[in-house]
Amino acid sequence: MSKRANDEKRAMGALSRRRKNMPYYFMLPVLLPLVLLFGYPLIKSCIIAFQNYKLGNPDIYFNDFENFRKLFADRDFFLILKNSLIYVIGSVAGQFFLGLGLALALKKKFPGRGIYQSIVFLPWAFSAFVVGLLFRWSFNGEYGVVNDLLLKLNIVEKGPAWLGTPGLSLLVVTIAMIWIGIPFFGIMILAALQSIPNDVFEAADIDGCGIFRKFFSITVPYIKPTIIITILLRTIWIFNSFDLIIIMTEGGPANYSQTLPSYIYTKAFSAYDFGLAGAFGLMLMLILGMYAVVFLKISNYEEAGDF
Amino acid sequence: MKRTTSRRIETVIRVIVLTFYGLLVVLPIYWMVITSFKTNPEIVNTQHITYFPETFTLENYQSLFRMLSYSTYLKNSIIVTLVSAIVIVFLSILGGYGLARFKFKGKGGVLIFFMLTQMIPCILVIIPLYIVFSKMGLINTRIALFIYYVITNCPFCVVTMRSFFERIPYELEEAAYVDGCGRLETLWRVVLPVMFSGIVAVFVFAFIGAWNELIAGTIFLNTPDMWTIPVGLKSLIGKYSVQWGALMAGGVLALLPTAIMFMFVQRYVVEGMTAGAVKG
Repeated sequence: MSKRANDEKRAMGALSRRRKNMPYYFMLPVLLPLVLLFGYPLIKSCIIAFQNYKLGNPDIYFNDFENFRKLFADRDFFLILKNSLIYVIGSVAGQFFLGLGLALALKKKFPGRGIYQSIVFLPWAFSAFVVGLLFRWSFNGEYGVVNDLLLKLNIVEKGPAWLGTPGLSLLVVTIAMIWIGIPFFGIMILAALQSIPNDVFEAADIDGCGIFRKFFSITVPYIKPTIIITILLRTIWIFNSFDLIIIMTEGGPANYSQTLPSYIYTKAFSAYDFGLAGAFGLMLMLILGMYAVVFLKISNYEEAGDF
Repeated sequence: MKRTTSRRIETVIRVIVLTFYGLLVVLPIYWMVITSFKTNPEIVNTQHITYFPETFTLENYQSLFRMLSYSTYLKNSIIVTLVSAIVIVFLSILGGYGLARFKFKGKGGVLIFFMLTQMIPCILVIIPLYIVFSKMGLINTRIALFIYYVITNCPFCVVTMRSFFERIPYELEEAAYVDGCGRLETLWRVVLPVMFSGIVAVFVFAFIGAWNELIAGTIFLNTPDMWTIPVGLKSLIGKYSVQWGALMAGGVLALLPTAIMFMFVQRYVVEGMTAGAVKG
């Protein structure tokens, strides 16, 4: 083999190696910190969950399943689990249907749509913290505007203490959560709607399809991937979020609006019982993982993880 | 004839629906804003709840500034949020481009990993980080928050950025390669300029995510001179007395920056997401 051919071959080899490594040059700066900073805490949490880990405790050892025993022995565990489910399902369902309605209403152009959109999508930019305050204030039993309106409209005789009543407090938290989340669904679904080619609808018009037929036979199949992935993501986020609850009720009254993550937070940072908090956290993750797998299976979504 | 009536009905329904959503969003915001301009006696008058301030006052804002060193929190919030958002955008461009343009071993794994990160309860991340940070002396520093905000917001932003890249035809890049440009140069000169809206959208996501974060802030920061706005405001909520006027004033001020920003770039966000929605 001539020297030149050899050189060429070597050059090609280097080039293809470079080409092969290329994706990793792009991915590593992102993946490395993420794997380290999610991986380490996760492993550490798994270990802590089986230890008597309390902050400042000098004698830390493995205590078998003590934390998990404590978890299931917790009087309120099943109440909290129930609250979490009601809160998540209620919030996601409310956000989804209201967001879908908003997206459908925004699909067609109308004068002033730009300004209108920037107003109705605003809650997206709001912090759960401030929204929590606002709803806590509006649903205040004595000075709240909600009770005042209900009284004026003669719907109630005496306004309830919303945030101090079992059942109602969780409802108010759920309402606040729905309010924040409508824009997320609205934007995502609107975006999906706008990517449906117009001629499909025109063809359906020619065939004489009604509004409902068009909605279920064209719109829904087209936006299905978006719906699946937004619902999945949103469910996970809501399940894991608890700042709203901490701000509005701190889980009260008597844990009636407590959800798993807010309970974990209280356990971890009022008693500094990191071991028990870790056990609860693993529990929560297990539930979410099972949910994600089942949800993706049922919805027939092929591209798992492709959100 | 029938067509025009059905169209008219459609328009009426649309107006009703749009009004409903408009009120749904505006009324709570209105309530917060006017509460912040009422005097305290007016706020806590059970007998007579007013729907417009009888006496318009700035005293809530004044007492807010008296009770809190708001400018310190503002400065802290801006520094942490801005730096985090810029770094997140940078990482999202790299990661998003890598995912959009290459096939490589472990790509599916990367996507599943991103999905998994969303499932980890934040407490499971915060507790170990808290332990590590205290050993490294990072508790009560902006670095701790910065690290936390970058890793928690990155997965969503990377994947979103990826769908923006996928919308851009590869031919555009090919032309540049033929002209002898390298990958990075092409990315910088050819690809990024045409996906301005996508970059803006990701920046806004990252900014909002960090700006509004409360929990990690309360855990990682413990002296008022390091607090961010949400952490500072939270300190106003006493167990027994809540100063609603000042709190609402603080809420208005906390929401203002992101609200203004969002109103200006909302168009790009929807535009950008429309691009991404094709893939789902």
